[in-house]
Amino acid sequence: MTTTMPATPTPLTTPTMTLADLTRRSGLDVLDHLERQVTIPVVDGLQAQGDLIVVPYAFVTRAVTLTSGNWSEVPAAGVELLRSAAGGNPHTLVADPGTCRWTRHVRDTMGLAIAMIETSAVAYLIHPEHGGTGIAPGRYVVRRQRERNTERMGWRGDRMIAD
Amino acid sequence: MTPVSALSQGAHRLALARRLSDEWRAHGLAARPADRPAAEAAVVALYRLIDAPAPEFVWVPSPTAALSIVHDDPHTFPPVHFQGANLPKYPEGWPLTAQLANLVQDLRRGLDRAVGHGVSRGSWWRPLAIPAERALTTGVAIPAIIDMVVGDALYATLHNCVRALIRAESMPTTGGTDGMTWYGQHDAHWIGHYDAYARLGLAQYRRSDAELLALLAELARSTGWWWPGEGRCVMAERPTEVHTEPLPDALNGEVRLHRDDGPAVRFADDTQVHALHGTHVPTWVMTDPSVERIHAERNIEVRRSAIERIGWDTYIAQARLRHIATSGDPGNPGSALHLYDVPRELWSRPARLLLVVNGSVEPDGTHRRYGLSVPAHFDDPVAAAGWTYGLSGEHYARLARRT
Repeated sequence: MTTTMPATPTPLTTPTMTLADLTRRSGLDVLDHLERQVTIPVVDGLQAQGDLIVVPYAFVTRAVTLTSGNWSEVPAAGVELLRSAAGGNPHTLVADPGTCRWTRHVRDTMGLAIAMIETSAVAYLIHPEHGGTGIAPGRYVVRRQRERNTERMGWRGDRMIAD
Repeated sequence: MTPVSALSQGAHRLALARRLSDEWRAHGLAARPADRPAAEAAVVALYRLIDAPAPEFVWVPSPTAALSIVHDDPHTFPPVHFQGANLPKYPEGWPLTAQLANLVQDLRRGLDRAVGHGVSRGSWWRPLAIPAERALTTGVAIPAIIDMVVGDALYATLHNCVRALIRAESMPTTGGTDGMTWYGQHDAHWIGHYDAYARLGLAQYRRSDAELLALLAELARSTGWWWPGEGRCVMAERPTEVHTEPLPDALNGEVRLHRDDGPAVRFADDTQVHALHGTHVPTWVMTDPSVERIHAERNIEVRRSAIERIGWDTYIAQARLRHIATSGDPGNPGSALHLYDVPRELWSRPARLLLVVNGSVEPDGTHRRYGLSVPAHFDDPVAAAGWTYGLSGEHYARLARRT
């Protein structure tokens, strides 16, 4: 994937970020039929993108803990949080350099968490089919979706959903 | 070697590896007639290596046709047992096919020694999921990158997604083991692996090993499945049609069988293999997916494929699932969540069905609907939806936005 960055990148903290701005800024593309000129809403609470959910950390403090103090900076090119099984489409987190950090080192009693994010400025999740969504400053846990495993034999727990 | 030239040598090797991977994948997926002279010559050479005379060749249109011949001739194609008590003391007393297999096992041991590691995969195996170009620049060792691009990619495609489905269709899962199948073009994944290491200069094979590998490579390039026996060798033609789609997380050209308007694989005698997005399905899923058949089907992946084929709405209406409750979908204005009771036989354990609607719109303007199985104790669709994310109904009701 080649990322072409504009000469002076639009900061992600621009209040009227549209999907067109976001795709241009991040170098990531979305499917043609998605509306590109509408401002992307920024949410500071619970929100979902496909089979991924972004949960304010306060909702899950007892269920989700860090297993290591190692965080990573979210780079300018973004970081893929989850790649879907049907369509190969990733959920990518993008943020202005130096504003957002993330880690995979989480333990979740539900077994669904895939990452924790902490951001001091607005960060965005982009997905080719679901478009873009804004995450307000704060700390969040990113979880996958599950359904009840309905096999007669074998693993009797739950099955992860692959979008 | 300076870092810069090491990197460019790596890039050069990667390009060559990609080309080899594409070539071997093409052989594995080939749907043109077998090159019979080349295949027969290779088999005769193999027989010679175990001091067996050249066999009579029987060509048939498909593995199914071949297996009926093999099963009907246990004298020429004796069952192969690997239990110690039943084995003759020396390999020379083994059935011919077992002697050839022994030869190939020794070959692979020798090749693995030259390569430096084995190709075997445990149940824990997962392919490395980063682009090879990035792996190169972050300093992943060249052999690991070659494994990713060639061996692992071909294994995922040819072994897991193609060979396994044709086996499932043509070989019964009950009964004893008869004969031993040799996979011709569907061995291209491990042959391509060893071939790539040699062509990239990463491994040096003994001459005898290289020659035997060349014979097997010739078979992978020229024929379908085959069964060697004493004095007789049955050869199945390659398919006449193979339909595939890219694997969703494919980074190295991986594909799986898929066709939704006909068989994914077809042979000249009209033997067919149906597959939907890589799932092997019986013909009825394609031609007559009725609720009765769905409920009678034991395989859950087949049931799911069949339900998706008729659509969740249709299935729910025709199966007359008991509607428990409906509520608004938090964060998804204008959409509803529906909870249904499901007959025990469908899911084999107590569960209910939550019908959800995507917040984002499909290219054709519709919103995709799909059913999720949830624990049976839920009466509230919002609580059931929250459960799918590990959240309580109260928390999930606060969902601000869904895309």
